[in-house]
Amino acid sequence: MANVVSVDEFVTKEWYPGFTPAYGQAPWCTEPIDTFRKEDEKRFWFLDFHWPRGLSPMGIIFLEDGYAWGTQCSAQSLPLPPGKGIVQRLGGTHVYASEVPTASEWEIGFRAGRIGKNLPAFLQNFDQIWANRVWELEMGLKYFESYDFAGKSVAQLAQYLVDAREFHKRAWEIHFEIMYPLLANYLGFYGVCGELKIDPGEISKFLQGYDTKILASDRELWRMTREARSAGLKDLFARTEPENLHAALKAESRAAGWLKTFDEFLQIYGWRTEGISDINLAPWIEDTVSPLGTIKTFLQKSGDHDFDAARKAAVAEREAAIDKARSKLTKEEQSPFDAALASCQKANFAWWNDEHNFYIDLRATIPMRRACLALAAAFGAGEKDDTLYLFWPEIMSILHDGKRFADFKGIIRDRRQYYTHWGDRRPQMPKVLGTIPDAVTDPILIEIFGMHHHFFDAIKAKGKDVTTLSGVAASSGKGRGKARVLHGASELHRILPGEILVCEATSPNWTPAFAKIAACVCDGGGTLTHAAIISREYRIPCVVGVGLATQVIRSGDEVEVDGTNGKVVVFRAGRA
Amino acid sequence: MTAGAHPAASSGIAWIDDLSDATLARAGSKMARLGTLRRHGLKVPDGFAVTTDVFVRFLEETPAGRNVEACLARIRGPGDAEAIAVASAAARAAIEAQPIAAPIAQAIGDAYEEFCYRRRELNSPVAIRSSATGEDAADASFAGLFDTYLGVTGTERVLEAVRRCWSSLFTERAVGYRLRSGLDYKRSPMAVGVIALVDALASGVAFSIHPVSGSTQRMVIEGSWGWGEAVVQGLVTPDHVEVGKSDRRILDYQVADKRVVSCFDYARGLVVEHDMPKRLRNERILDGEQIAAVVDAVLAIETCYGYPVDVEWVLDRHRRAGEQITIVQARPVTVKPAGDPLPQWNPVAYAARYAFSGKGRS
Repeated sequence: MANVVSVDEFVTKEWYPGFTPAYGQAPWCTEPIDTFRKEDEKRFWFLDFHWPRGLSPMGIIFLEDGYAWGTQCSAQSLPLPPGKGIVQRLGGTHVYASEVPTASEWEIGFRAGRIGKNLPAFLQNFDQIWANRVWELEMGLKYFESYDFAGKSVAQLAQYLVDAREFHKRAWEIHFEIMYPLLANYLGFYGVCGELKIDPGEISKFLQGYDTKILASDRELWRMTREARSAGLKDLFARTEPENLHAALKAESRAAGWLKTFDEFLQIYGWRTEGISDINLAPWIEDTVSPLGTIKTFLQKSGDHDFDAARKAAVAEREAAIDKARSKLTKEEQSPFDAALASCQKANFAWWNDEHNFYIDLRATIPMRRACLALAAAFGAGEKDDTLYLFWPEIMSILHDGKRFADFKGIIRDRRQYYTHWGDRRPQMPKVLGTIPDAVTDPILIEIFGMHHHFFDAIKAKGKDVTTLSGVAASSGKGRGKARVLHGASELHRILPGEILVCEATSPNWTPAFAKIAACVCDGGGTLTHAAIISREYRIPCVVGVGLATQVIRSGDEVEVDGTNGKVVVFRAGRA
Repeated sequence: MTAGAHPAASSGIAWIDDLSDATLARAGSKMARLGTLRRHGLKVPDGFAVTTDVFVRFLEETPAGRNVEACLARIRGPGDAEAIAVASAAARAAIEAQPIAAPIAQAIGDAYEEFCYRRRELNSPVAIRSSATGEDAADASFAGLFDTYLGVTGTERVLEAVRRCWSSLFTERAVGYRLRSGLDYKRSPMAVGVIALVDALASGVAFSIHPVSGSTQRMVIEGSWGWGEAVVQGLVTPDHVEVGKSDRRILDYQVADKRVVSCFDYARGLVVEHDMPKRLRNERILDGEQIAAVVDAVLAIETCYGYPVDVEWVLDRHRRAGEQITIVQARPVTVKPAGDPLPQWNPVAYAARYAFSGKGRS
């Protein structure tokens, strides 16, 4: 394959039917988001796995305020030496991302000097810095989540929306302010472990076994499961589809007590969505299908999930892995290992990468969604989420400049079609666009998206009859079976026990599938992405950051996954 | 100084107690070093060297020398592989077919008899090892090039093995190497060591620095059951042990599937290669105490020479816990000690190297 993938089919100035942004939008960014231009072909763009459905117009605010601004703001203040954060382009409704380079050698050196002063202080004071940010986030979340929309005027809702956007932006500033330095330290730790010849499959174990808020919410879900069982609701759950569970429980008198507890659970833990920062996703507090469906799955498993035992096992595994690694090091080698490990345990990226989802990724978009839905209701919209198909200047023109919502009805209809059209095209979207490099320098691209040399090797080898793929060894062991290539969680029902899951990436709503599959292969991701963590939890082999797995592997191919060495061997269906 | 302090030039025999690095030119490096190690209190087998003088006389006083010259003269240059092969075979045959002159044979036979007397054993089995001058020198290019015969018994076989060691100066590899490097065999004549065959439970090699990475913090021990020939010739994958030098802690023990063993064939009076009995194939050859004994010896030798060494060791079947391990060879390692500054944890430096360099992790 040529090392340039044309962007031609995505070049347009229009972001969505009927919307072309004003000149100079988002001037606060180092580089604002946009649609593709021809000259973008000189840069490297990759399809971001976080939004497999694409983004709606209101969802694109996340790119402007969160993904672009958040990374760029943090990259400037930390700073990152060779990169100025990440910028996005829209391919239809889909998100392509690229690093914003620092071109000047002098500036790179200047920035390297600055981070040399800032990083040690950050690592040293991580506990306090994160505690302060959590205080900030909780203060905001408390306001937005306890806000009562009843009886509020459109002007009040409009203010809530503006405030919610501001909070959302701040939450993502915090996100990348913390993520970049933690990740840089984590990659440095990986580096020192590599120099000390420590088995890479072991390294993530060194940082596991610390309780997170996400784990606390899982723990509560299991408590709800136990209570459903003791309330005699197991059969009701078993015979009812998740979509109908809430109504069925309401109709069942024995369930009244349980539903009350469930509502209390939602008040605390229901402020979360299944995917990351997508305003089109309903949180549990709004739509109970997902948590009730999860409880249904949990009820089907025999027995309870013993969190304390699981945590003890994780801690024991961590300590054993550390002891084993240290025992293979000389006394002289133990000292840098111990220092690096202490640094990473104190400012623990693995822990934070789970913890922060509870405050930011799964949560910080919800206030904006609620405001949009409340406004749609106030406008008398046909669909409850019609306002998600308006761009910010458009909704502001209704709220402040006397434009009428009714005038946007046609355009909203067109945009819904556009959203669906591009959503359906997801499996055919090119994984990469523009000029393929040998390497990238942004630590988020390296670790979160798994852009190691394997990734670029795989992309460059596209078109050849590749039978062995390489990626990041994310969960050890070997597994073999028939491949099932999936492009979204909505297809999960198609996977059969013992199959190998092949996908772009997974998110929390994919978790139930891991109980059935023999192994997992992902196009993107590093050792701490969802699929990697869950695979280790379920003890199935997993290789991530493979690049083009979903394009090279076809459903039905026999696949062998070596999670210890990060290799995937494909035996084509219908061949010897 | 007693008469025995210097190898008697006339007899051409030098006993190991009299050898040291100072006698390298006549005893060859292998035997000279064993003498030095013995002087430093290490345990090495008894035995003697047939000095280079004897080899020189053999070539000068018999037609063998002229024949060898004639064979080598037919080679046109270092690239002439075919001619090298022919010349090597002919030169070796010329030496091996040439009877050793009676006075020399007598001297060697007397020394072997004296050796057997000292051990109070008839036809005491010996290891006969080439001990070339220039062999195992710091560049060590000749390492492993010349012959060794284990478990040789009786005067006749000893003489035959000595002659074969001489002829191994003209193996294809040795001839080719000298041609490429512009060396003359006359300037590196061959001595031969005749030393007691240790009753080997296990044997192998050890390196005072890591032979691949050059790390000076790690030493490596490799070995297998029985004598070391199967290991040296690469017929068997040995157990691999890594030890931290500063605290002598075992860092890694990889047990190999040892399919071949060098063992003593009593019927033939020779050490031969044999399939390893299944039950022993995957067992550890050394326990912690035995590893510590190898480590002690290797560190002592490194201290003695002042530079990193590799050694061949043998675990005597009759050795008891606490006793020394036997050393049958020591030489400078061919790997360069890594000048690697030890990794020092510095989050800024490591972030620069692995998070911002674009290289990521492998």
